[in-house]
Amino acid sequence: MKTITLLLALTIVLMVPTSELFAKDETGLRFTTISLPSSPLIAFRIIVRAGSINDPKGKEGLNSLTADLIANGGTKDLTYSQVVDKLYPWAASIDVQTDQEITTFIGSIHRDHLDGFYKLFSELLLGPRFDPADFQRVKDLHLNYLQNTLRATNDEELGKQTLNAMIFVNHPYGTTEDGTVQGISAITLDDVKNYYKTTYTQANFWIGLAGGYPDNLQETMKKDFSSLPAGEFKEVPLPPVSPVKGMEVTVVEKPTRAYAVSMGFPISINRKDKDFYPLFLANSYFGEHRTFTGVLMNHLRGERGLNYGDYSYAEKFVGGLGQPPFPRVNTPLRQQFFSIWLRPLQPENTHFAIRNALFELKNLVDKGLSTEDFEITRKFVLNYSKLWAATISRRLGYKMDSEFYGTDYFIDRLDKELRTLTVDDVNAVIRKYLNASNVKIAVVVDEGKGKDFLDAMIANTASPIKYASAVTQNILDEDKLIEVFPLNINKEQSRVVSAKDLFEK
Amino acid sequence: MFRCLTVLLLVFIPMVFAVALDESGQGKIFPYTINQVTLDNGLKIVSIPFESPGIVAYYTVVRTGSRNEVEPGKSGFAHFFEHMMFRGTEKFPEQKFNDILKSIGADNNAYTSDDQTIYHTVASAEALETIMQLESDRFMNLKYSEDAFKTEAGAILGEYNKNSSNPFQSIEEKIRDAAYTEHTYKHTTMGFLKDIENMPNQYQYSLEFFKRWYRPENCVVVVVGDFNQDKLIELAKKYYGAWEAGSYKLAVPAEPQQQAEIKIDLPWKSKTLPILALAYHVPACSDKDIDFAALNLLSLVTFGETSDLYRKLVVNDQLVEFVEGDMSENRDPGLFYVFTRVKDPKNINVVRDAIYGAFGNAATTKVSEEKLASIKSHVKYQFAMSLDNPDRVADEIAHYISITGDPESINRLYAMYDKVTPDDIMNVAKKYFAPTNRTVLLLTQEEKEVKQ
Repeated sequence: MKTITLLLALTIVLMVPTSELFAKDETGLRFTTISLPSSPLIAFRIIVRAGSINDPKGKEGLNSLTADLIANGGTKDLTYSQVVDKLYPWAASIDVQTDQEITTFIGSIHRDHLDGFYKLFSELLLGPRFDPADFQRVKDLHLNYLQNTLRATNDEELGKQTLNAMIFVNHPYGTTEDGTVQGISAITLDDVKNYYKTTYTQANFWIGLAGGYPDNLQETMKKDFSSLPAGEFKEVPLPPVSPVKGMEVTVVEKPTRAYAVSMGFPISINRKDKDFYPLFLANSYFGEHRTFTGVLMNHLRGERGLNYGDYSYAEKFVGGLGQPPFPRVNTPLRQQFFSIWLRPLQPENTHFAIRNALFELKNLVDKGLSTEDFEITRKFVLNYSKLWAATISRRLGYKMDSEFYGTDYFIDRLDKELRTLTVDDVNAVIRKYLNASNVKIAVVVDEGKGKDFLDAMIANTASPIKYASAVTQNILDEDKLIEVFPLNINKEQSRVVSAKDLFEK
Repeated sequence: MFRCLTVLLLVFIPMVFAVALDESGQGKIFPYTINQVTLDNGLKIVSIPFESPGIVAYYTVVRTGSRNEVEPGKSGFAHFFEHMMFRGTEKFPEQKFNDILKSIGADNNAYTSDDQTIYHTVASAEALETIMQLESDRFMNLKYSEDAFKTEAGAILGEYNKNSSNPFQSIEEKIRDAAYTEHTYKHTTMGFLKDIENMPNQYQYSLEFFKRWYRPENCVVVVVGDFNQDKLIELAKKYYGAWEAGSYKLAVPAEPQQQAEIKIDLPWKSKTLPILALAYHVPACSDKDIDFAALNLLSLVTFGETSDLYRKLVVNDQLVEFVEGDMSENRDPGLFYVFTRVKDPKNINVVRDAIYGAFGNAATTKVSEEKLASIKSHVKYQFAMSLDNPDRVADEIAHYISITGDPESINRLYAMYDKVTPDDIMNVAKKYFAPTNRTVLLLTQEEKEVKQ
């Protein structure tokens, strides 16, 4: 059985792109800059080209823990508290964002305090203190995040991470960005020090600088960061992503009053590819994040009042509860996936809502966009995308992401590609990359309810929606189709799990 | 071919904060010009030029939030009504409204809080008239069916549901319900669950709600970014001139003084570390009362990252994941919260006593001038650095308009921070943190989970 699966996988080998990152200057360091001399702010985005995919086996979470300890620790001369005391009156912070492919240290400072801030920022990165007490504090936070937050108090993120693990099964992307409970538990301070020594090298550093910085800052940084070992950048090879066979469902049980749903499948293109741009437009039409314009939002929330929001994504999208509406920058992936996010639903309507979303996806694949839909969506994306890089820090992030993918500045390329598209291009790409038959589905349900829920999905039991109010006859007629919309559940690949067993190892 | 934003380098350049950082405290924190024009019907137009070529932020502040929900059974209604404002008018039915916003590529949404409901749009400056036409029309002519109203109630329940696994939603509900006996801050902006579930039956009341609060004298339009002032006012008169003023008078019951400590135990079904939450009644947000500014600074002196308590509990002894103090900025007297998550249940009492000790210390020991200066600098830079795009500027201004009705209060409030002395901080520490003014909530995992 395993052999057959492997053979199938090999016949559908997805292109595994290589990022086009490391053309470096003579120092071995790479810089991306945006100079805006009139700005009183300076933004830093310092990327270390290593992410959770670099975690050693059995130490999953090492990349994230190391980065967090650097950003929330001390320098050779200053303790963590002394660093905080210095940053505090400037209202400056040093944030870190760990992801699958890269790790980004982010800082913003008013130019009044640039010298003092840069000194601290560079000393944290070049000579971290790695104090045992700081290590314990940060390690506790990471463990508690997985055990008590992700598994317990944020069902939407739990659904998304479950889907990620399903799509990237047996793949380096398959663990959370923060690792696993057993992985983190096994990490020692020596592991962190060794990881820093081998990973925080000139070859892996990529320095982003934007705003009103002085002319000599880049030279200063070159000199300072040249003290790092030269190292060698080794891109982690990615295997093909497993193909999806039918509908594979993971039902996660935990105490909850409403059910969160995420579903999706891998796609073989990313921002580098020409086909990505028509797909991006199609996705905006279908489910633009946090807007009232998408098909999903209109049919599930607007017409039926099923939940708070329903969106879709043509690439990894980090965001959600309490997050800003625009995409987060510096979360690039070489291998991408398409996904649908249904925000928590009343239990009795969840089966219907899953069908409703897939029914709409099938309509999209079968019918595509009309010329009118295409024109209005193109106009929307052309204008809306210009709002995404409103700050120097975000613009810098987009620029670095574009370089990661080896393409032009994303928002400019989006503009250029969209202007020459036709509705036929978009509909052809939809048919090529999207489908409503082979989909992985993660559902977070209440304790003890998982088996019945999965059984009903497998048996294709009718799931009529329960309304609080009258809706139009058109909607009722459509409901008759949706409530029995066949779901081709792959029983072998579907399961019920307890949240407390997820992200364990 | 396309109506599209024309500026390629859309990065906004914030002003230099020379004035904001005037250490004498004489200058204004807000570095931009604030224009204010009031139309004959009472609608105020606040406009702020900002260097954001081709972009404008358009906010409508309704000075009505869950504070206004005085009638029993109507909690959560201001927020529900915010949702109904997206259901269209005769001239611009819902689909048409959305289609127009889509065609201009606008970022458009709304939110509701205790004291305000805020509708916000960021879009091309060329679209200013279109936005004003849409916004004025729905504020004057909103129309929706009872069925649409009931359907939207499902989305509200969905909004409650999306946060329902988060213990902090329940903690806020329980603390407010216990700490307040009369005032409408007793309920959260989402409202009591029983009222949310009954919302589909409140169609008639929703019509009354619109008549009461969606009136020009209760609203302020805020425009920030790239616009022409004369043209803006001309458009405002054209589109809002016919809006009739209202006359409804609100009587929010005053909260009597708390007489005894209130204790709440909140068992939690999911796996969790213990969460300890304290709440004390404190004064309303004010740009005149030094107590408000002193309490805000006290929250940082006593619970901020540089505080002795933070160093003890988070960094050195590592008994908690975090500890934070949070002073409400409300129109009426609000709550001063302290939250902490304890790593080991056996240390709950030690942590609680350390927090009480920190309040006691603040009441008997003056904070050093040096430390206070660092905290004041932090507050000012944090604010000034946040004003880096028109949306953020509009949002900050909208917040203070909600509370005081006057955008200039932002400057007066930050000037107050400059005046706060170590004595002022000691005085408020003595005045507001007696046990009889306190609500203490302890959230712990249910027993059956602990045994597993």
